[in-house]
Amino acid sequence: MAERAKGMVIHVKTLKSNELAAARSLLVNLTLRENRSKYKRSALGWAWSLVNPLATMLVFTFVFRFVFGIEAPAGDPSGLQNFGFFLMCGLLPWNFLSAGLSSATASVVGNASLIKKVYFNRSVLPAASVLSANTNLLVELAVLSLALVVVGQFVFLYLPVAVVVIVLQMFFVLGIGLTLSALNVYFRDIEHFLSILLMLWFYATPIIYPITQVLDNPRLSAAPIRTLYLLNPMVHFVEAYRAIFYHLRMPEADTILYMFLSAAVSMALGLWIFHRVEARFAEEL
Amino acid sequence: MSEIAIQATEVSKRFRIYHERNQSIKAMVLRRRRGVYEEFWALKDISLEIPKASTYGLIGENGSGKSTLLKCFAKILVPDGGSVSSKGSISALLELGAGFHPELSGRENVFLNGAILGISSAELNRKFDEIVDFSGIERFIDTPVKNYSSGMYVRLGFSVAINVSPDILLVDEVLAVGDAEFQQRCANKFQELKSSGCTIVVVSHAMEMIKNLCDHAAWMEHGQLKAHGEAQDIIEMYLRQVAHNTGEPYVEPKPEPEPEHIAP
Ligand SMILES: Nc1ncnc2c1ncn2[C@@H]1O[C@H](COP(=O)(O)OP(=O)(O)OP(=O)(O)O)[C@@H](O)[C@H]1O
Ligand SMILES: [Mg+2]
Repeated sequence: MAERAKGMVIHVKTLKSNELAAARSLLVNLTLRENRSKYKRSALGWAWSLVNPLATMLVFTFVFRFVFGIEAPAGDPSGLQNFGFFLMCGLLPWNFLSAGLSSATASVVGNASLIKKVYFNRSVLPAASVLSANTNLLVELAVLSLALVVVGQFVFLYLPVAVVVIVLQMFFVLGIGLTLSALNVYFRDIEHFLSILLMLWFYATPIIYPITQVLDNPRLSAAPIRTLYLLNPMVHFVEAYRAIFYHLRMPEADTILYMFLSAAVSMALGLWIFHRVEARFAEEL
Repeated sequence: MSEIAIQATEVSKRFRIYHERNQSIKAMVLRRRRGVYEEFWALKDISLEIPKASTYGLIGENGSGKSTLLKCFAKILVPDGGSVSSKGSISALLELGAGFHPELSGRENVFLNGAILGISSAELNRKFDEIVDFSGIERFIDTPVKNYSSGMYVRLGFSVAINVSPDILLVDEVLAVGDAEFQQRCANKFQELKSSGCTIVVVSHAMEMIKNLCDHAAWMEHGQLKAHGEAQDIIEMYLRQVAHNTGEPYVEPKPEPEPEHIAP
């Protein structure tokens, strides 16, 4: 017992400030590397990151707008009514979550050769994956904003709020990413579970349909269903993005509060789990 | 009393030897357990002080825990008992592979490794040519390292590890893979590092090398420290024991005879 307690001294020792600075510069380096390598061997380069959501938008608009006849609500107060824009405001943050979680989950196992040979702050690996996906989101949102300005929606007024929402979502995703990347060391099939989870989660989030289709639907009006539906943090993130980019208004106060809480809980859980198991990464991999 | 670079206090490390290992949720649910394993102490109460600016050799038979101890020094493994404290920046070159990413080119790996070791990109840019020069593999610097020969791998890894001017350099076994010329260059570089105050810990089975290079040595056996002290004495004790175990008589090493012919 005494032996164990002594071993703990190293665990508990807090990060020194120069170690933190080193971790930060490593994080920047890894993120840049991931960004560069993602589109390195393709002729269109960065343009690829825009082709994918555009193609999805065309397909989804065709299927859900024209085949199923889902109507986008009118922007309030913006007055905009366009299914494509409505869809993108939910799809882009969703793509960030999905890409960020997938690459973060694989990040620790995928860098086994590094972990076994060099010491560095391990949490930098999932963090770099999430940051790289986040860079993508920023580029896509910038293009979306330009397109919105062209049709007369002056979204730039809400830029500071957008930054807050993006940062909160980033921490929300990072917390889950830390958890999954650590668990993936012990259970290599986490990646398969993640793809199933993402599929269910996608439909439980108002991306291809307006949230009113659920909340105002008499068949779904039972209290437990509503409560369960609203527990999903992504519902609130998507609603916040929509408020800013589609409706041109501030997100509701309780939406912001809920996003803040989800980000905090996710990060607390992620850091706790990650730090509990990271000491054994080098021998378990 | 000189300064201490690395202090190990009763360091113990336990590994799990799996007889059955369920590495997926599916298998775990089906078999209702994570696995069947035995515990195995790879290190048991190792206490060691490595003085600053010394060259320290770790010797011992295969599986005696040398690499494990070095990984504890490098913070890659966390001891299950005891503690390691060290002063200054650590650069490690462990077994084959310097922590390179196989898919990335030599160039990218130099930058990645530098970043991991905490070197700013400005400084790396400045040192890049020196690193590549020392490794002697300019021609292959843009080839993915998975296509390197083991010697090239070590050359590049070693060049990064020493050129980032660490306070402590940990080297495991790797130098044997380099050719004679590279080994000579490394030996010179070690002297240079040592005189600038760098502490070097080397694991090797090449007793001649340890003898030439190291001033102190420690002898490990079955995860325990058998003896430590002056490199000369420890190596002699070790070789005596090896000779005893194999039944061969222990012979004092003689100076090498002059070669008769040298190709012009
Ligand atoms: N990740 C691991 N999981 C389980 N056992 C391990 C692990 N790493 C090392 N061991 C065991 O610990 C013991 C010590 O290994 P170590 O690599 O330290 O030996 P060594 O002294 O470096 O040997 P060599 O001279 O062959 O390099 C060995 O029995 C090895 O099987
Ligand atoms: Mg070894």
